[in-house]
Amino acid sequence: MGKNKSVLLSVPYILWMVAFTLIPLCVVGYYALTDPDTGAFTLDNIRDLGMYLPVLGQSVMYSLISAALCLLLGYPVAYYIAHRTPVMQKILYMLVMLPMCMSFLLRTLAWVGLLQDTGIINNFLEWIGIGRIQLIRTPGAVVLGMVYNYLPYMILPLYATLVKIDNRLIEAAEDLGCNSLQTFGKVVLPLSVPGIFSGITMVFVPAVSTFYISQKLGGTDTVLIGDLIERLFKQGDNPNLGAVLSLVLMALVLICTGIMNRLGGDEEGGVIL
Amino acid sequence: MKKANRVLTILMFVFLYIPMAVLIVASFNTGKDITRFEGFTLQQYAELFRDQDLLRLLGNSVLIALLSTGISVAFGTLAAVGIHSLKPKMRKVVMSLTNIPMTNPDIVTGVSLSLLFVFVGTGLLNQRESLNFGTLLLAHVTFGLPYVILNVMPKLQQMNPALTDAAMDLGCTPVKAFFKVIIHEVMPGVVSGGIMAFTMSLDDFVISYFVTGSDFVTLPVEIYTYTKKPIHPKVYAMFTLLFGLIFVLMLTMNLLQLRGDRKKVNKRPASRGWKIARRCIAGVAAVCLVVGCCFLFMSGRQERITLNVYNWGMNMADGTDGTMDLVAEFEKRYPHIDVRMSEYESNEVLYTKLSSGGITVDVIIPSDYMIDRMIAEDMLLELDFQNIPNFSYVDEQFKNPDYDPENKYSVPYTWGTVGILYNTKYVDEADVTGWELMWNEKYAGKILMIDNSRDAFGIAQYLLGYDVNTTDKAQLQACADKLAQQRPLVQQYVMDQIYATMENEEAYIAAYYAGDCMLMMEENEDLAFYLPEHQGFNLFTDAMCIPKCAKEKEAAELFINFMCDPEISGANMDYICYASPISAAKEHMEDYLAESEIVYPEEAVLEKGSAYAYLSEEISRYVEGLYQGATKINNVSTDDEPSGSPVALIVVAALLAAGGGAWVLFGRKKRKS
Repeated sequence: MGKNKSVLLSVPYILWMVAFTLIPLCVVGYYALTDPDTGAFTLDNIRDLGMYLPVLGQSVMYSLISAALCLLLGYPVAYYIAHRTPVMQKILYMLVMLPMCMSFLLRTLAWVGLLQDTGIINNFLEWIGIGRIQLIRTPGAVVLGMVYNYLPYMILPLYATLVKIDNRLIEAAEDLGCNSLQTFGKVVLPLSVPGIFSGITMVFVPAVSTFYISQKLGGTDTVLIGDLIERLFKQGDNPNLGAVLSLVLMALVLICTGIMNRLGGDEEGGVIL
Repeated sequence: MKKANRVLTILMFVFLYIPMAVLIVASFNTGKDITRFEGFTLQQYAELFRDQDLLRLLGNSVLIALLSTGISVAFGTLAAVGIHSLKPKMRKVVMSLTNIPMTNPDIVTGVSLSLLFVFVGTGLLNQRESLNFGTLLLAHVTFGLPYVILNVMPKLQQMNPALTDAAMDLGCTPVKAFFKVIIHEVMPGVVSGGIMAFTMSLDDFVISYFVTGSDFVTLPVEIYTYTKKPIHPKVYAMFTLLFGLIFVLMLTMNLLQLRGDRKKVNKRPASRGWKIARRCIAGVAAVCLVVGCCFLFMSGRQERITLNVYNWGMNMADGTDGTMDLVAEFEKRYPHIDVRMSEYESNEVLYTKLSSGGITVDVIIPSDYMIDRMIAEDMLLELDFQNIPNFSYVDEQFKNPDYDPENKYSVPYTWGTVGILYNTKYVDEADVTGWELMWNEKYAGKILMIDNSRDAFGIAQYLLGYDVNTTDKAQLQACADKLAQQRPLVQQYVMDQIYATMENEEAYIAAYYAGDCMLMMEENEDLAFYLPEHQGFNLFTDAMCIPKCAKEKEAAELFINFMCDPEISGANMDYICYASPISAAKEHMEDYLAESEIVYPEEAVLEKGSAYAYLSEEISRYVEGLYQGATKINNVSTDDEPSGSPVALIVVAALLAAGGGAWVLFGRKKRKS
């Protein structure tokens, strides 16, 4: 009796989620297939997409590189944190979390101050006699911005899986004659696979859709798909083409999360946070 | 290995914290430039606390975060109980629904919600203001809910179902059992879900950016506008304070938790989560209460009329640098009106915002050709000139202009020219021969191009010798090619960001509006302005209008009238450095401005300039498309348009199919577990 009634509690929620997640996506689909002027059905928006494909490829490439770099940098850090005393772990965990709570817009802007031709780093290089080098408005700067902003998203899930690994397994491996590298390769790494894949997803998804990072740190050659969507909606006055790009971006992300979930086991990235 | 890890960890923290350190240091800087520390001051903090707007925005952010978290927590916990008692198959379906906002990129969520709100609000319900506080709250609840659900569900699964039965056997009604047993058991999940929803909502920029209307703006969205122009150091002061606050908050929470953990060892383990939870709630509630009170305190004056003025960035005197604060002056004269300023970057941004129908604003200040377009598309209200007696001060030559022949919709605000600003330290005078300077390879990477289609095309048209109001597609395509050719040389396409970049010599050459150029020349003496008279240049008028979506027409007319007061107009020009269409204002302007050749060029020069006219919706869109192609992606070619089409179709179909496939796989995988 109680059970049947409590099922009803889920009904408003389901209606809510359908109304505000599924239906909006249908509206995006509707816009994607209509003409901006007349509102008639058309495939023109999709046809126009052709010229934006290189941008799409570029976005995917930058975010994959960023995700890989995050993994490379984040893994040792997460490993280090997971092997501290509980108090230390808490403090370090907090220090990783803290930047995520601060405005990413301003933090990225600080990078502009650091990297620009007349910026802090270049002033320093000039002062020690090396001379100014082009740092900002390069693909490297965009990747750096992504790594900087999303590194915590990699460290936290990695830490969560690494800390759960039973220390006795490692000891057992060592007792059985593994050196530290072998222990790592045979025990730690395989057990942390779910964390790796959820970390990659959590870095890739925001990185591939960002527009602020590339606007601030990128140049005229590093336009990303997020930039285009933002522009089309906010000033290009062509939400219909923007809708097509949004759908494509969504499909891309679905593919990525699908693959990652399959490879990494069924770990919910968001929950680990 | 261990040592290497430690070094790497330390380096990583340095990497994470250096930019924040830069911002914190900048908050104590006497200068405006983040890259040069000129001296220590606490001035920025004083400025911060004087800035009502900034505090109001912070209050807005906290309010929306509190409300949306409250709703998500209550709604989500109940829903989780409901979902928990669903049949497993159905439960999986609902959970994958829950995952949509979690897996979708924020930008897609934001875009889809804003399209929905506009589609339903403007399209179906015929609302004037389809993006407002309510829709922002809806959006925040929608992305907050999954956090609550995903945190509460595991707790429900861990809970012993016999507990509820026992409670009911002992005489509890199901409702009572829910409050006595279930709530108690899932509390830790509710709290952690709530905290996540709260921080996500407080920090959210992307989704809010797309669903924000004009009446209620949150701090991150406004910060985005700030970062597009020279940013005031008081923003860094706020960053520093927030950093301190969050740091202390996190530290206390961790300490409390640690203490809780230690006590746990000797005490009953059952109440552990509950205790921590209680402490966390108490902490969060206390903070919320304090901030909430601040907010209520600040928003205590609700009964007055709010006049929303939507203006260009840095286009009205605001009291800095010894100018008159016009908004304060207006509010002094009309105490029942509260003016709320918001800013747009270009005519195109303004048009898009108004035509998508999401917002209400009362006064806008578009340029000539855009007014023409808005009149043609019936987006403006006729003004009641009885309420604007100061219109009589406007010079005859600015009355009944081409863009508004009967002068029914607009009152001129400023006029000016578009020319080239360059740095004499780096640019050879011999190269300053015309618009081709913007294409000079010698200065590759140091050129800033104006970021809006009409001005960019105008420059190309003057250079190529075409009519600026041409509708000939071949000529427009040639302009697009010219712009695409320029792209590799361009450092950035900018509007208000031009200030910081030109002033600190990050770039040497830029095309921009004369008034803004004057302002920059005041900041950096090496800058000079050049008007390519022989090729032609744009002569523009910006005029005040009231859009159809306005709510406070009379107050808007009062405001327009106020701006036409010669004394006010003069004071305004002192700040913005444009020319006033009211000659009498010259007497109230600083002499160097009133006599400046840049602000008021000679008649003979003015004759070489030309105004943009509105072409047609089709051509406007065509130009916009070409502009995107030329400046965002290198698309110079003219003939591959048809050949690209099947490829695009196939790629899209493949992507969508793959996405669907992934979705199915994703779902199936879940069912297995």
